[in-house]
Amino acid sequence: MNKLIKNIMFAGVGGQGLILMTRIISQAAMKDDFDIKSNDVVGLSQRGGMVWGNVRIGKKIFSPNIRPGEGDILVAMEPLEALRWSAKLRDDGLIIMNSKRFYPTIVQQEKEEYPEVAIEDLKANMNVIEINAFEEAKNLGKKQVANVMLLGILAKHLEIKVETWKETIKDNVPEKAIDLNMQAFDLGYVYQG
Amino acid sequence: MDGKAGEKRALTGNEAIARGFYEAGGVVASSYPGSPTVEILEKTKVYEEIYGEFSTNEKVALEVGIGGSFSGARAMVSMKHVGVNIAADPLMTFTLTPTNGGFLLVTGDDPGLASSQNEQDNRVLGKFAHLGILDPSDSQEAKDYTKKALEISEHFEIPMLLRITSRLCHSRSVVVLEDRQEVKSKGINRSKEKFCMIPPGSRRAQMFMKERLQKLEEYAYDTELNTLEEKQGSDTLLITSGLVYYNLKEVEPEASIWKLGLVYPISKKRAKEITSQYKRIIVIEEMMPFIENELKLMGIECEGKKYFEYTGELDVPDIEEGLYQAGLLKNKPEGSKRFVETVSRPPLFCTGCPHRPTFDILKKSKAKVVVGDIGCYSLAALFPFEQSNSIISMGASIGMTKGIRKAMSLTKEEEPLVTVIGDGTFFHSGLPTFVNLLHQKKDNENMTFIVLDNRTTAMTGGQHNGSSGLYNERDDMRVGIKTLLETMGFDRIKEINQYDYKAAEKLFKEEIAYEGLSIIVVNGPCALRYNLEKPYFYVDPKICISCRACIRTNCPPLRMIEYEGIEKLKSSIDKDMCVGCSVCAQVCPVNAIKSSKASEKEGE
Ligand code: SF4
Ligand code: SF4
Repeated sequence: MNKLIKNIMFAGVGGQGLILMTRIISQAAMKDDFDIKSNDVVGLSQRGGMVWGNVRIGKKIFSPNIRPGEGDILVAMEPLEALRWSAKLRDDGLIIMNSKRFYPTIVQQEKEEYPEVAIEDLKANMNVIEINAFEEAKNLGKKQVANVMLLGILAKHLEIKVETWKETIKDNVPEKAIDLNMQAFDLGYVYQG
Repeated sequence: MDGKAGEKRALTGNEAIARGFYEAGGVVASSYPGSPTVEILEKTKVYEEIYGEFSTNEKVALEVGIGGSFSGARAMVSMKHVGVNIAADPLMTFTLTPTNGGFLLVTGDDPGLASSQNEQDNRVLGKFAHLGILDPSDSQEAKDYTKKALEISEHFEIPMLLRITSRLCHSRSVVVLEDRQEVKSKGINRSKEKFCMIPPGSRRAQMFMKERLQKLEEYAYDTELNTLEEKQGSDTLLITSGLVYYNLKEVEPEASIWKLGLVYPISKKRAKEITSQYKRIIVIEEMMPFIENELKLMGIECEGKKYFEYTGELDVPDIEEGLYQAGLLKNKPEGSKRFVETVSRPPLFCTGCPHRPTFDILKKSKAKVVVGDIGCYSLAALFPFEQSNSIISMGASIGMTKGIRKAMSLTKEEEPLVTVIGDGTFFHSGLPTFVNLLHQKKDNENMTFIVLDNRTTAMTGGQHNGSSGLYNERDDMRVGIKTLLETMGFDRIKEINQYDYKAAEKLFKEEIAYEGLSIIVVNGPCALRYNLEKPYFYVDPKICISCRACIRTNCPPLRMIEYEGIEKLKSSIDKDMCVGCSVCAQVCPVNAIKSSKASEKEGE
C-alpha cells in the first residue's frame, strides 16, 4: 500500500454542487504534482437523491474507488449523508460536516424520523468538525459559496499549498464571484469548529 | 478545454474522449443526450474545428456521423448503451461498408445501473455488428484510444466501438494534452457497390466485413493496446480490461496480468501463446463473460464468472472476494460494510418542478393505469406519487398504450388510460408512435396522452430539443407540439400551464372522463434549466389546519414542524429553498400559504 495516499470522500444531496468540489480538489492536487483519481456519481440521483464522490491523492493512484474503512476525510454537505457514509471512513478519520438539513421524502411524509440521535452519537464518537456553512455563506452574501467554505476547512488537512487552492478556485468560479469565494475559503481555513 | 501540448489536466473520461477527438483532427461529432456520455458532445462543442450536435435521437445522430465519415472526414458518435439499440438499424448495415473518414462510435455502458433502465453489455452488440472494440482503463487511455480508434478505423476501413463505463466517464485522472493533428479529408468515395447496400453488392460486403475483422485480428497479435505484466514464478494469468484493471492492481495479486485494450477481436494466436504458459487462467470482467467466452471459443480453458458477480461493478472488495474464492488470496477479505443503514434518500422532483402538480393531480384522479416513459418524470413511479405502471424505453409509452387499449377493449374493460411523455422523448421516438395511433382509431377508445413540455431534455441536465427554441434564443428548432399534432390529424388537443393547478385539475378531469382519444400539452419550463426564482412562500401556522395537502405535493422545502405555543404539527416552508412556484399555496384548502413580497427575497 502506498502510504502517501489521502482518500477524501464527499457525500451530499443531488444538486449541492459536489462535482465542482471534486473537480477543484483534483485540479489543485495535480498542480502540486500529486497523482489523482476521482469519482462522481451523477445521473438520476442528481435530482435530490443521495450523491457521493471521492478524490484519491498520492504518488501513484490505481483505482478511483476507496475501499470501505479506508477513507481519511469525509466532507459531508448534509448530516444524514455524513452518517450514511461514515462507515467508509477509518476509525480515526475526520468528518467535515455542514449542519444544514435536507429532509428526504420519507421523513417529509412522516413515515420515518430524521436520525437526529444517531447523528449526535456520530458527533460524540468520531472526529467531527461541524459548521453551518449554508448560514455562514448566506451571511457572506451567497449561499452557493458554502462548498468553498468546506473546501477551506479541508485544505487545512491536506498537503496542498494555499496559493494552489486559491488559484484553482479562481479558475473554476465566475469572474464576478471570485472575491466572495476567496472570503469563503479563508473563513473555512481558519474555522475552529 | 483549450490547452498546449505537454500540459497536464485532470479530466473526466468524457472530457478526455472529447479532447482525443479534437487532437485526432475530428470534424463531425453527434450524439443524443443520455447518462453517462452527455459531456462528450458538450465538450467537443468547445472547439470551432468540430461540428457538434445533439441530434433528435441516436439513429439520427449515427446517420449524421456516417455522413461525416462518408464525406471523408473523421466522425464520432456518442450515446448511452441503450441508445445503440435505437441506432442499431443503420449501424448493422453501415458496418458492411468500408469507412472513409475514420469512424468511432462511443457507447457508455452502465454496470450497476447508476442511471439506466437496463445493464446491457455493448461489447456483445459490438461483436454482433462486426466492430472492433476498445476498452480504456482511465482518462489518459480514453483519450489515447479515441485517437487510436480513428487511426485503426481508417487503416482497416472498419467502424470502431469505444466502450466506456459510467464510472470511467465521470472519474477524473491526469491526462497529458497534445496538439491537434489536422487530417486531410479524403473526399467522398463514390463507388456505389461499396456504399449502396443492396444485393449483389451487399453480399460481397458480407465477405469484406469478415476479412476486415481477420486483418484486425492479425493486428491484435502484437498491438501495444494489449499489455502483459508477468509476475515471476506465477502459474496463474489474470485477464482483464477497462477500469477493472486498476481495481485489480489495488489488490496486488500474486499472478501475471494480461490487460486487453482491444477487447475485440482478440488474436487467437497470441492468446494461445500466452495462456499456454500458465496453469490457470482467470478472466475478471464486469457484466457478461465476453472475454471469457471469446477465449473458450478458441478452445482455451479458463474461468471467470464463476467467481465474480454477473451484474454490477467489480470494485476492489468484489475482486478480492472473487480471488479468494478462486484460492488466489490466502486470507479471507474483511467484509466491511459500505455505509450505515439509515433513512433512505431516493431522488425526487426538483423544487418548483412543473411535473409535481401534474402527478399530484393524477394521483387524485380516477386513472388507475398510468403509462410512464423515460425522463425526469420517471420519478413519478417513486413514493409518494407512485404514478407509473410501466417504464420501458424512450417513447414506448405511446405504442404500449395503444396495445393495452385494444386488448382491454376486446375484453370490455373500460378503465381510462393515461399516458405521459416528455418533450425530449416525444421528439426522440414518440412521433412515429403518435402517427401510429391514428391507424384503426376508434372513437370511443378512452386514452389521454399528456405531453409534459418543459422545453428541454431535463433529465440529462438541460440539453436542447425540438421544442426548446420557444424559450431559449440560442436554440433553433422551435417545433410547436400542439400544432404538429393537429397537423397530423388529432382533433382534441388542449394546452395548459401546469402551474395553474386548479385549471389543470379541471382539464385533466374532463379529458380523462372523455370517451375517446385526447391529448393535453402541459407547459411549464424546467425549474432547474430555466432558473425559476420567484418570491418565496410561507405558511401561517395559525391558519394551517394540518391537513398536509401541501406536504403531499412532495416539494422539498415543505415539512411539518412544531411551532412554539402551538400543540399540533403545522406545515412550514424552508424559505431558502423555495422558488415560489405557488403550487403548495394552490392546494391549501384554507389559504394558509402566502407569497412573500419580492423585496424580502434574500440570498440571491
Ligand atoms: S411555492 Fe411551495 S411548491 Fe412552490 S417551490 Fe415553494 S414550497 Fe415548493
Ligand atoms: S395544505 Fe394548508 S392547511 Fe393543509 S397542511 Fe398545508 S398549509 Fe396547512
